[in-house]
Amino acid sequence: MKRTAALLLGAALLGSCYRVPKPTAGISAAVPAARGDSRTLRVFIWSEYIDPDLVKTFEKHSGVRVILDTYESNEAMLAKLQGGGAQYDLAVPSNYVVQTMVRAGLLQPLDRTQLPNLKNIAPGFLNAAYDPGNTYSVPYQYAATGLAFNRSRYVPQDTWAEIFGPEDRLSFVLLDDPREVIGAALKFLGFSANTTRVAELRAARNLLRRVVAKRGFQGFDGGPGTRNKLLAQQIDLGQIYVGDLLIATEENPDVQVLLPRQGTTISMDTLVILKRSASPALAHQFINFILDARNGAQLSNYTYYATPNAAARPHLDDFLKDVPALNPPPSWLRDGRLDFIGELPTGRPQRLYDRIWTELKSR
Amino acid sequence: MTGRTHPLLGAWAALVYLFLYLPIVVLIVFSFNDSRFGATWAGFTTRWYAVLFARADVREALTHTLNVAVVSTLISTVLGTLVGLGLWRYTIHLRAALTGLLVLPIVIPDVVMGVSLLMFYAFVRAGLERAGWTFDNGFWTVLLAHVTFQISYVALTVRSRLAGYGPELEEAARDLGASGWQSFSKVILPLAMPGVLAGALLAFTLSLDDFVVTYFTSGSGFRTLPVLIYTNVKRGVTPDINALSALLVLVTVVAVIAANALLRPRRAP
Repeated sequence: MKRTAALLLGAALLGSCYRVPKPTAGISAAVPAARGDSRTLRVFIWSEYIDPDLVKTFEKHSGVRVILDTYESNEAMLAKLQGGGAQYDLAVPSNYVVQTMVRAGLLQPLDRTQLPNLKNIAPGFLNAAYDPGNTYSVPYQYAATGLAFNRSRYVPQDTWAEIFGPEDRLSFVLLDDPREVIGAALKFLGFSANTTRVAELRAARNLLRRVVAKRGFQGFDGGPGTRNKLLAQQIDLGQIYVGDLLIATEENPDVQVLLPRQGTTISMDTLVILKRSASPALAHQFINFILDARNGAQLSNYTYYATPNAAARPHLDDFLKDVPALNPPPSWLRDGRLDFIGELPTGRPQRLYDRIWTELKSR
Repeated sequence: MTGRTHPLLGAWAALVYLFLYLPIVVLIVFSFNDSRFGATWAGFTTRWYAVLFARADVREALTHTLNVAVVSTLISTVLGTLVGLGLWRYTIHLRAALTGLLVLPIVIPDVVMGVSLLMFYAFVRAGLERAGWTFDNGFWTVLLAHVTFQISYVALTVRSRLAGYGPELEEAARDLGASGWQSFSKVILPLAMPGVLAGALLAFTLSLDDFVVTYFTSGSGFRTLPVLIYTNVKRGVTPDINALSALLVLVTVVAVIAANALLRPRRAP
């Protein structure tokens, strides 16, 4: 998986060298009429990330056909869009990819007047560093990274020390993602998950060296793999995106997830409108539809990911309301305990992150 | 090979085959698992196959996959056979270079091929848009992409099938009074036929299984089964996708066995 992602990223860079000529305004205006595109909305999204019934409702509501195409990583999505492959109206990048897409000229600014439901989003999730003023993106759903366990095997304290502490009696896996692993170590040490300070990164590296040398360390894994290992009681603990774990609770209520008190990383997936969109008005209509309170709740009830939509909270399934990990206290956003995984400045810090990760993976 | 092989060699071979095929066996077994997450065995069920066949997006992707596979196989078999025959028959200038070019699509990483085609199509489209035409990537772009890598496989199987024969075969036919067309249709083509069919089957399975090139060359709303399966991995593969993969494996295995049977050297008549 990682290899593929790396290849795709390389491909994206390759693709970005080639500049797709931008269609002039006259032509792009002529496109929808010529192809009847005003009756189709093309959405590029992660798999299983929207309730099909919600899509049907929108189709009925607006009289258009919605085409959902899926991708499996931000990198793959970016590679395809940068190559000028297909025409989509909307995409769902994670927050740290938004600026990359802006710089690549892939996005168009949003028209606020067409998004009255934007008022439903909790203020803490607006105007974030990845897109000041929400010029290009609207929060869709987010995932905090938590500590997952199977309570019939082991019930942990709400601290990263369960993994990063000196003890070595528990078996655990870490997420197969550099920013998540290094980020968690940084949070445990009391630093920002996006730090560029060399001393702080060195401390994280030294800590992680000890952690992966533990006998209990069972390797790096993705969300589904970690979930399966917990269900099969092969490990005590796992670092995981909260949503990826919660979806298994309906089959086995013994698997649970918590957020460590030192704080953790979150990543926000966002809705953006692509510059090449054939029907921006329709795209705005769709975004506004998603931002509706009931629709926002229906999304989370289906995906088990957290909603940034404050008005949607009352409409969530009771089960989801009761999971603390899905609803971190709002104060956590303010006091810096929740860090959005941010884009790293190129140069020394980025190289340090890369080097730490390479070293950990090559053990 | 004559003589006895060491018994350990057999055990080693068994281990290698186990390593290769166990994951596929596990996949097939778990497509019958009555658990959504497939971590533990929760009893036997065929309901995932029912779920699978009820999915409209799967049916649509299947139609796309088969359309592309059948049409691209037909085109690439005809073109590839001609290339294979040409390379066998004629001692042309730069034959080594041409053969090398033919092997290129086989060894080149899929990503490079996919991205280069993606950029090529974007380039063509930009030109067409300036002329007032529009098109979106879809059936035709995927079809062309598949043909480009299939031709090599067909050409190479045809050429290797004929490798043991020399040009004297055709000369003999002509001496016996056959016209150029007759010597081709009655002598050369029948000899090459197992290679042609094997190449076609290979091309078909390659088209059926291809993800990377298809992903990059397809447009919005045109999804094939491998694209559908692969892009499902982010949140964990659902069991109905296991069932789909099991069926794809089955079809591929049957086709490859058939191709091998056709390519098996027979005693010259």
